[in-house]
Amino acid sequence: MENILSYIPLDIALIAENFDRFMYGVWITLNLTFLALLLGGLLAIPIAIARASGHRILNPIVQTYTYVFRGTPLLVQTYLIYYGVGQFEVIRQSFLWDPILSSAWWCALIAFTLNTAAYTTELLRGAIADTPKGEVEAAIATGHSYRSRMRRIILPSAFRRAIPAYSNEVIFMLHGSVVASTITLQDILGVGRWLNGRYYLAYEGFITAALLYFLIVLCITWTFRWFERRYLRHLVRREVTSETNLPAPTTT
Amino acid sequence: MSDPAALKVDNLHKSFGNHEVIKGVSMEAQKGEVIAILGASGSGKSTFLRCINLLETPNSGDVFLAGEKIRMKQNRHGETVPEDIRQVERMRSRLAMVFQGFNLWSHMTVLENVLEGPLYVQKTPKAEAREKALSLLAKVGLSDRADYYPAHLSGGQQQRVAIARALAMDPDVMLFDEPTSALDPELVGEVLGVMRDLAEEGRTMLVVTHEMGFARDVSTKTVFLHQGEVCEEGPPAELFSNPQTPEFQAFLSRMN
Repeated sequence: MENILSYIPLDIALIAENFDRFMYGVWITLNLTFLALLLGGLLAIPIAIARASGHRILNPIVQTYTYVFRGTPLLVQTYLIYYGVGQFEVIRQSFLWDPILSSAWWCALIAFTLNTAAYTTELLRGAIADTPKGEVEAAIATGHSYRSRMRRIILPSAFRRAIPAYSNEVIFMLHGSVVASTITLQDILGVGRWLNGRYYLAYEGFITAALLYFLIVLCITWTFRWFERRYLRHLVRREVTSETNLPAPTTT
Repeated sequence: MSDPAALKVDNLHKSFGNHEVIKGVSMEAQKGEVIAILGASGSGKSTFLRCINLLETPNSGDVFLAGEKIRMKQNRHGETVPEDIRQVERMRSRLAMVFQGFNLWSHMTVLENVLEGPLYVQKTPKAEAREKALSLLAKVGLSDRADYYPAHLSGGQQQRVAIARALAMDPDVMLFDEPTSALDPELVGEVLGVMRDLAEEGRTMLVVTHEMGFARDVSTKTVFLHQGEVCEEGPPAELFSNPQTPEFQAFLSRMN
């Protein structure tokens, strides 16, 4: 064993020694990413509905919000909240300062949440708008109210169709969460940076970090594959009937 | 005084922009009547049907369901809008519609499609709704397809599910908007067969169709629309054997 390890140009022992630090980094990365996704997702649903409704007042507001947050880098947004907001005396005096805005973790969570909510809003808006018109009409004709057809027909259908695109958003958010390491947080990359700073060993820290991110992405991909199999069955074509199912010939 | 007509439409007008599609159409269906609505494409027959359950909002004219008028008002832009959307929703739940493109909810199984209205619009108890849904699927010959998704069925099967879905609401009047036009010729028969059974049961139906045979044999009254107006109407036997207007004569000769 000693022999094999000696061929690997990495200080495995050092990584093993700091393994619990990396595990703490995984915890920070995961809680930031998934809390942001959860809160951002919950935020995105009503915003996307407002956006899809084409409301005269709400729509421009939402559009501005998504433009700003999709048009600027996550790093800049995080800096603005972490470094910027504290410059205002009013905020430092307010109740928001002590538990929330003075904390790097909270600032990262707020920035990530607003960022992923903006992307998820646009994604959901597209999925809502793509709901087949006939299915919406069938819901109207059945007597569904606006609320109940949104809840029973449009959203369930839109959520399903959004699954593949949303898996990208989840992975982007995970990768984007490295921004946390630039505002003092010890997330996965943060630990890698710490190791590099302390021992001047770049590979040990960064390869371990890369590997950990890779493993998390693998889990995300598998989870989404399962979701797709379960919730997108209705879109998968298969041979079932003895009858043919060709479109009717068009006669003009 | 006799019972009010199951459905009465009075002097309905509908324009899209400057183009008037329906120019004052009136129609009355007594309980158990089957009215076939014929017309060339562009005659306004589908639009007329869609105005009845307010999928399109008519510019003027009244719709009565069993004597109850769907109340409309003018909004501040001078457009006609429903006065009470709850009333419209209640009316719609009594007016089931079957579409040309089936329009089944694709993320739901066949059974869920049939259960949707009873469970979530009419709030029928689950066990009761389920029992009825299964018997309706049996009636349209699709008991063995209850757990399939619509995309996994043929067009004819999908349309039969759509009819079961409409029947599940126990509608007072059924609106059929070219129910067989999107089907392969060999699948038309199975859908017409189900509709024929419904007519024999005494369902009140308005059927926009190109199926001359169905209009002739099944309808109690046939209406021929031409350029947004009722051109001819009457019992199909008379209408088909003795068309009065050159428009209807021309239409018949094109269809045969």
